[in-house]
Amino acid sequence: MTFTVTPLRRWRITRRKLLKGGMGLLAAGAWARFFGFFRHARAAETVRPPSTITTRLRINGRDNTFKLDSRVTLLDALREHAGLTGSKKGCDHGQCGACTVHVNGRRVLSCLTLAATADGKDVATIEGLAEGKKLHPVQQAFVDHDAFQCGYCTPGQIMSAVACIKEKHAETDADIREYMSGNLCRCAAYPKIVAAIKQARGATERG
Amino acid sequence: MADDTSIIGKARPRIDGPAKVTGAARYPSDEPAPGAVWAFLVTSAIARGKVKSFDLDEAKAVPGVLDILTHWNVGGDAKPPAPTSKGKPTTTLESDRIWHDGQIIAVVVAETYEAAREAANRVHVDYDEEKPSATFGSPGAQEEKREPGDHEDPKIGDPEKAFGAAPVKIDQRYETPTQHHNPMELFTTTCFWQGDKLTIYEPSQFVYGLKNNVAKQLGIDPAKVTVVSRFTGGAFGSKGGTTARTAWIAVAARRLKRPVKLVATRDQGFTIATYRAETRHRLRLGADANGRLTALIHEGWELTSRPSQYNVSGTESTARIYACPNVETAVNLVHADRNTPGFMRAPPDTPYMFPLESAMDELAYALKMDPVELRRLNDAPKDPINGLPWSSRSLMKCYDAAAERFGWKQRNPVPGAMRDGDWKIGWGCATAAYPSNIAPCGATVRLDGDKASIGLAGQDLGTGAYTVIAMTAAQALKLPVENVSVELGHTDLPAASLAAGSSHTASICHAVAAACDKVNAKRAQGETGVIEETAANVPNGLPDSAMDKINHGQMAISRGFGRKDCTAYAFGAHFIEVRVHGRTGEIRTPRMVSAFASGTIINPLTAYSQYMGGMIWGISAALFEKTEIDLRAARYTNDNLADYLIPVNADAPEIDVLLVPEEDNAVNPMGIKGIGEIGIVGVNAAVANAVFHATGRRIRRLPIRIEDMV
Ligand code: FES
Ligand code: FES
Repeated sequence: MTFTVTPLRRWRITRRKLLKGGMGLLAAGAWARFFGFFRHARAAETVRPPSTITTRLRINGRDNTFKLDSRVTLLDALREHAGLTGSKKGCDHGQCGACTVHVNGRRVLSCLTLAATADGKDVATIEGLAEGKKLHPVQQAFVDHDAFQCGYCTPGQIMSAVACIKEKHAETDADIREYMSGNLCRCAAYPKIVAAIKQARGATERG
Repeated sequence: MADDTSIIGKARPRIDGPAKVTGAARYPSDEPAPGAVWAFLVTSAIARGKVKSFDLDEAKAVPGVLDILTHWNVGGDAKPPAPTSKGKPTTTLESDRIWHDGQIIAVVVAETYEAAREAANRVHVDYDEEKPSATFGSPGAQEEKREPGDHEDPKIGDPEKAFGAAPVKIDQRYETPTQHHNPMELFTTTCFWQGDKLTIYEPSQFVYGLKNNVAKQLGIDPAKVTVVSRFTGGAFGSKGGTTARTAWIAVAARRLKRPVKLVATRDQGFTIATYRAETRHRLRLGADANGRLTALIHEGWELTSRPSQYNVSGTESTARIYACPNVETAVNLVHADRNTPGFMRAPPDTPYMFPLESAMDELAYALKMDPVELRRLNDAPKDPINGLPWSSRSLMKCYDAAAERFGWKQRNPVPGAMRDGDWKIGWGCATAAYPSNIAPCGATVRLDGDKASIGLAGQDLGTGAYTVIAMTAAQALKLPVENVSVELGHTDLPAASLAAGSSHTASICHAVAAACDKVNAKRAQGETGVIEETAANVPNGLPDSAMDKINHGQMAISRGFGRKDCTAYAFGAHFIEVRVHGRTGEIRTPRMVSAFASGTIINPLTAYSQYMGGMIWGISAALFEKTEIDLRAARYTNDNLADYLIPVNADAPEIDVLLVPEEDNAVNPMGIKGIGEIGIVGVNAAVANAVFHATGRRIRRLPIRIEDMV
């Protein structure tokens, strides 16, 4: 399920153009007041109270129940309502992969997932990957290879990498590069991310 | 130099690595802010004019909306942040004036993010719109000569005469595009007040700068402002200066008496912060028949906002890279209706080395010379502008090491001569150089038995600062690195300067070493128990008062080319292979080898990552990145991560980084030159040179795209 925001600025210009182009008889200001009048009339009906939805999420093996605005994304539910800030917001538009988590074992972009649609599902985040102090082999490999710099994309990279290995999309370098290309790293740690996944691939297969 | 007992110089995984891979590392928007309400920005839909009126009724009707800030109700509550350069800042809520598209004109605050966003979308604005100027050549754009002051315009000899008389000449024009940093972390700000004390969580490259700037904007005592930025999710210059948003979030928090949190959207990030402005250049090179440079004349044009004089003036570097007896440079500013640009990775050298290193390749072809040999012939034994010695210069060592590893000897220099099936292969090279800068810095070291903790208000932007500090302290205190903990990014700690300009490692490590020296002195006197010492390091050539400037959030820095004793630069050489598809024009970069000599390398593992990141940024600057501008509306049109192209994993080449050993006793006591910027410098030219070698097409306007190949 996708969730997009109509960019305010674009829409506003379109309306302006409409005003100027289609109804040029009155000065723009007069039309603005005219539209303003309608807006007042519209406000009452278009502004509706938010609907609240009870959402149950099993996060890293623990059951949670949230009462959320129906527009809350899974990413914001995790970060702002469950206090799990490991998953990152890099774009909120499904373009960067920083928010990657697993839902029922599959990698998803949590910014493009409404929390309500994950009701009753298993959500795995970066916080649940290590066993106590012992890092998951993918986490360890990222540290060993210095497969990050600022670390902001890293939780998403690691959640993607874990899934990538499980999906058997980490058999060759070319595959790793392709199947990890949905996770942007502006620090450009890419070659080291590939090296880390190759190391972890062996370790997870053995383990 | 590293010996067996030394910690400095041995590769070591980051001490903050485990925090980063487990999600425990706290970036500013991860800091808990109980009871926080949400802000959403409303930005202007026009690039020039005035806000005539707001219609807020519909927005206010959204359940949960608490406050809407506009110039009507809060205009006098804050002043604009001080600009980082001469000239004036653009304004936001201080008045009805609109300087650029996407300027902040209102801030909506609501109980939830969703309500704030909805209400922001229901704010209706009427404008008095004027026709904006978008960029170079737009009607109404104003050009002026940049006077010397912050930047100098070197001149030696008689360049015009020498150029006129030169038997071999290059006279070309070059262009680099608008670019946005787009760090993965968004521009976020959380503010809350406890009585008259303000706390700010915001990703920053300079927490003392932010603290003092916001205090001044709000007219309060800086001692009452705390800024926290423990981790910064990439910055590349974009989080160096104070932007307008912070003070308004502070004002909102004060009005509501609750914490207010802002996570600006990706597209807003294009206009509420800075960017790398587009540049144009005319470069003239004259040489004798053997290839020795006789004239170098470089004139640059840079875009900036209407009121600001911001410029990067990379001519200060291009004038002194090669030995040439006749040099002249000039820089011009072009003002348009745009947001004010700012530092972006190697701010001066990324755009300005592109023309120089392209022209050097063109000269090599004109002379029928190998481009590496042309650089060797013109290697400068001393700074050609002021005659000072280099602190150290290993440019040709870098060329030789990288050329060897790359296999440059096998190159057939004839353009289009190397092929692999449908792919035309091109090999190109270019020089990397970046001045070695260092700033004043303070640090506290606390030794408790065999454990040490270090604190300073510097930043780890991904550079590995946490780790190099721990290594420096461990070596000085003779402790295992594991026993050293480091705290950064908090204004309760001693001041550090702006983490930028490849100055941070040198600045912070000298301060840490100085504080460790004081601890060791106490130890030597037989003191036991907890020893805590604070020290400041002020680099040679700066007055002691320079540390005071940093304490007050101002800039003070010793630049590699402004010194009295020597000129200090790090050098490097890039070699890259491009493949251009004969039918589709697709351009790929399968492999790249670069060598760098940057004095003492504290941690080769993180240094490698920094260089590598810079190199891929360079490829990105050559082939991917460009902010597109709608010329009629003066608006950025590709303001998102799908349309603003940056390399993904599959675009990254096979990379080899060679760290050429270099001992530099002149640059600073520890011999540290800095590495964050140099990786990108010159790569754009190396790629363009390789494209010429592959295809015979000389592309002088970046980025090089498929349409240039068909
Ligand atoms: S934040 Fe979800 S893809 Fe960028
Ligand atoms: S490590 Fe900084 S974005 Fe990937």
